[in-house]
Amino acid sequence: MYFLHLFILALLALFSGIILVGISRKISARIHWRYGPPLLQPLIDVIKLFSQNSISHGFFFDFGIILTLVGSFILIFFIPVSNLYVMNSGGLIAVIYIMLLSPFGLAISAAAGANPNASIGITRKFLLSFAYEIPLLLILLSVMTHYNTISLVKIVDMQVDSGWSFGSGTLILSGISYLLILPAILGIRPFEVVNASQEISSGPLTEFGGKHLAFASIQHSLHTYAVLALFVDLFLGGSSLFGLLKPISSTIWGSLIGILVFLVKVAVLMIFCLFINAVFPRYRIDQAMKYIWKWPLLTAFVGLLIVSLLN
Amino acid sequence: MDRNQIGKWFKNPSKMANKYSLHAIYFCTGCGIIEIPPSITTRWDAERFGIIPVATPRQANLFMITGYVSTKTLKAIIRTYEQMPEPKYTVAFGSCPINGGMYYDSYNTIKCLDKFIPVDGYIAGCMPRPEAVFIGVTHLWKLIDMDKANGYKKYRENYPFYRANQEQLFGDLDWPPLFPKENTNG
Repeated sequence: MYFLHLFILALLALFSGIILVGISRKISARIHWRYGPPLLQPLIDVIKLFSQNSISHGFFFDFGIILTLVGSFILIFFIPVSNLYVMNSGGLIAVIYIMLLSPFGLAISAAAGANPNASIGITRKFLLSFAYEIPLLLILLSVMTHYNTISLVKIVDMQVDSGWSFGSGTLILSGISYLLILPAILGIRPFEVVNASQEISSGPLTEFGGKHLAFASIQHSLHTYAVLALFVDLFLGGSSLFGLLKPISSTIWGSLIGILVFLVKVAVLMIFCLFINAVFPRYRIDQAMKYIWKWPLLTAFVGLLIVSLLN
Repeated sequence: MDRNQIGKWFKNPSKMANKYSLHAIYFCTGCGIIEIPPSITTRWDAERFGIIPVATPRQANLFMITGYVSTKTLKAIIRTYEQMPEPKYTVAFGSCPINGGMYYDSYNTIKCLDKFIPVDGYIAGCMPRPEAVFIGVTHLWKLIDMDKANGYKKYRENYPFYRANQEQLFGDLDWPPLFPKENTNG
């Protein structure tokens, strides 16, 4: 049972990550009044990149990119989808911890590549991480305090009975704060500072070609899926459809429909972020940090105060 | 995607993926680069062919030589071409890489680019319009299908020829040979 859940969750994350990146390129193209690539274009890119003979810069160059991919890959096993989950112990605390493995791996690779553009990119990546981690910690603290648990599975189960967190009066400010920092965590405009291709020739990915770039692309899709799935689990009720699925929730059909509902919610959230991505230019890194440490941090702090006062 | 192409995907996925995902290095050679931004932006969309510009040669697949090649640019072109991972394709735009074009009697331009780096195909024009660029892309797909777009293999096999031409033009090159010759000591 454990291995079945592992297998299905991994396949689901890989497939929906690729489709999400494909949807983002297609919708950005349609907003620009052009046609855009086919939906499976990221898959074609990854297949091509695997067939190229890439140049390696030594052991740490290869090791760093594997660490990045593993960091994002392990994260998806902590995020439950309908009633599939692999790891329950550790819950949100483990999620906070593992989310920082990917930037570390990328830093090791960028250091081994010895390209000055890569070091500028990694500096920006860590600065942005330190900027959005603080509101994120406050948001997760408010959710943990409200539901009195650190287990994501229990949080999803409690939302089936008591309604979506986003709709409840106590957690709405935390939800709004998460929506405000979501573009920063995803790395889309206006917070596309890390992989800015025009300014620093794609930042940390400068020396990546072939296999390394393929792993970096897969990591990007998995990271997108994991961040959106975390929001859906915490604030949008996971895979519950207003309690309609409770009678069939332990059957196969219930699981399948739950997965479908989950993916629809993730897709809607992605499209919301894409609309923001289409109209904004890029912030400088100091403007990005100043923005994230003003309103999102304030909203998350007030949300935490409300939750701790009402409990 | 056509249904009759699905079999080709399973037989040789890397060849089909190399066709439909050409990442072009955004290297602006000469005056011909003026026709590339219209091709990759909204009006004539190149992304539906799978072509996107990337920032570094390490991530690139396709090298577009647009316009004339002066001797100073040729050094940068050779260094960029050698950094790209294989398989890689080169397409030359305009009449200048073919025979010197408008600058046929200049002391500073390269008249025949094929002696220095291998070129897979030429797109005639001065400069070719975006429609001609896309027809050229479909021709490149056909060449890749027939395994005839093997400029990178020619570079690997005949490297002493290319290196000799480069050294004759520049004197001493300050980078070592890409494919060092194996000494066959008896």
